[in-house]
Amino acid sequence: MAAYQAEQLKEKGNTAFRNGEYQEAENLYTQAIQKHSRNPLIFTNRANVRLKLQKNNDAVNDCLNSIEISGPKGQNHKAFYFLAQAQLALHHPHEALSSALTAYEQVLHPQPAAKISPKDLETFSSFVLKCKKAKFIARDRERLRRQGDLRAELEDALECQKQHDLEHVADQLQSCQLGNVEASERHQEILTNYETKISEIRAVFAAADPSNHKPREVPDHLIDMITFEPMHDPVITKNGHSYERATISEHLKRSPTDPLTRDPLTINDLRPNLGLKAACDEFWQSGASEWIGEW
Amino acid sequence: MAGMSSKRLQKELAKIQGTLPPGISLVSADNLREWQMDLTVPDNPIYPPNEPYRLRFQFSPNYPIEAPECVFLALPNPERKVPIHPHIYSNGIICLDLLDAQGWSPVHNVESICISLQSMLASNTKAERPPGDAEFVATNRRRPRDINFLYHDPSV
Repeated sequence: MAAYQAEQLKEKGNTAFRNGEYQEAENLYTQAIQKHSRNPLIFTNRANVRLKLQKNNDAVNDCLNSIEISGPKGQNHKAFYFLAQAQLALHHPHEALSSALTAYEQVLHPQPAAKISPKDLETFSSFVLKCKKAKFIARDRERLRRQGDLRAELEDALECQKQHDLEHVADQLQSCQLGNVEASERHQEILTNYETKISEIRAVFAAADPSNHKPREVPDHLIDMITFEPMHDPVITKNGHSYERATISEHLKRSPTDPLTRDPLTINDLRPNLGLKAACDEFWQSGASEWIGEW
Repeated sequence: MAGMSSKRLQKELAKIQGTLPPGISLVSADNLREWQMDLTVPDNPIYPPNEPYRLRFQFSPNYPIEAPECVFLALPNPERKVPIHPHIYSNGIICLDLLDAQGWSPVHNVESICISLQSMLASNTKAERPPGDAEFVATNRRRPRDINFLYHDPSV
């Protein structure tokens, strides 16, 4: 009975969520959890709405609850994906990457009964990339900081200011001083502003001290020819060319041909390119900031 | 996913703003989803070398998995004509395999399309429109990518 009532409340919550009534949706999910707290989906749905409300710490807790219910081996890719988003927003790129990779693995090798939406692989793959970049930047700043670098100090200060401004927006959103649309506009504005300042600082340092700060290009062989992004899970075709798994899969779903030669090619013909993956990993581990200009 | 196409377009744009092959130039890309390019054709008496042709590219959120929509524009000022060619209708629609769903490959890009079109014009020997041009232009209401062209004449 309690489970049934909880399901009803969850459905109402989903409707509110689709209508953009996030506070209402969160309340409904909370009531659902009070009725019945063993359904992992209610927690993931509440995590999703909490991400929208920028309640990132609460979203982390919901995801962890959801994952605990579904068990260490259970399929719960959405919970891992939302967890990664919240962790990234909270500025924990290491944890975010590990959650994003779990989500990606679970979609790549789903359990038989799992519901996977066709866009999941691509979405999760690009989120893995986003986390890798964030981790890369964090590691690089750490390296500069150890050298007592002024640039790292300036970037840290801007980062602090950005987090502070974002929290302010989140507070205003939660206390209803700002609506969903305004809050997300303000959020975006703060991020854009931050990125502009960072790239200005980098340009100045690159001009002043080219040997340490000049942008370099990511080596071509690590770049996916479809998205033009560095790869993290490269696969090789029969003709010896490598692509990011998620993007080539998306192409093959529409047109089962090799992008370069037009020979017939299916997803089952793809093989992981382990050597290139090692090279990509090495690149991601290198922690040399010079590439960031490219992003 | 929208993220993929805008990242890729930004990178293509950055590259195009750096260098482009001779005879191809970027006119505008203020809107990332719609770019205009000018194209001139060297060494073909059919096309005066000082007469650029205007191309319009429109990108869906699924670019580059989906082909961009690419047509020639006729404009009054500055004057731009639709180049005469047996595979180009007088309303600017281009019949080229790499621009339709079967012929497109995501490793193509704006620059490679421009180069293909430039060489398609450069090697042309017939100053004529496709058969049935007048009727097609008068009746067509479909978007270019929904049209199934017959590539019956690979020699042109």
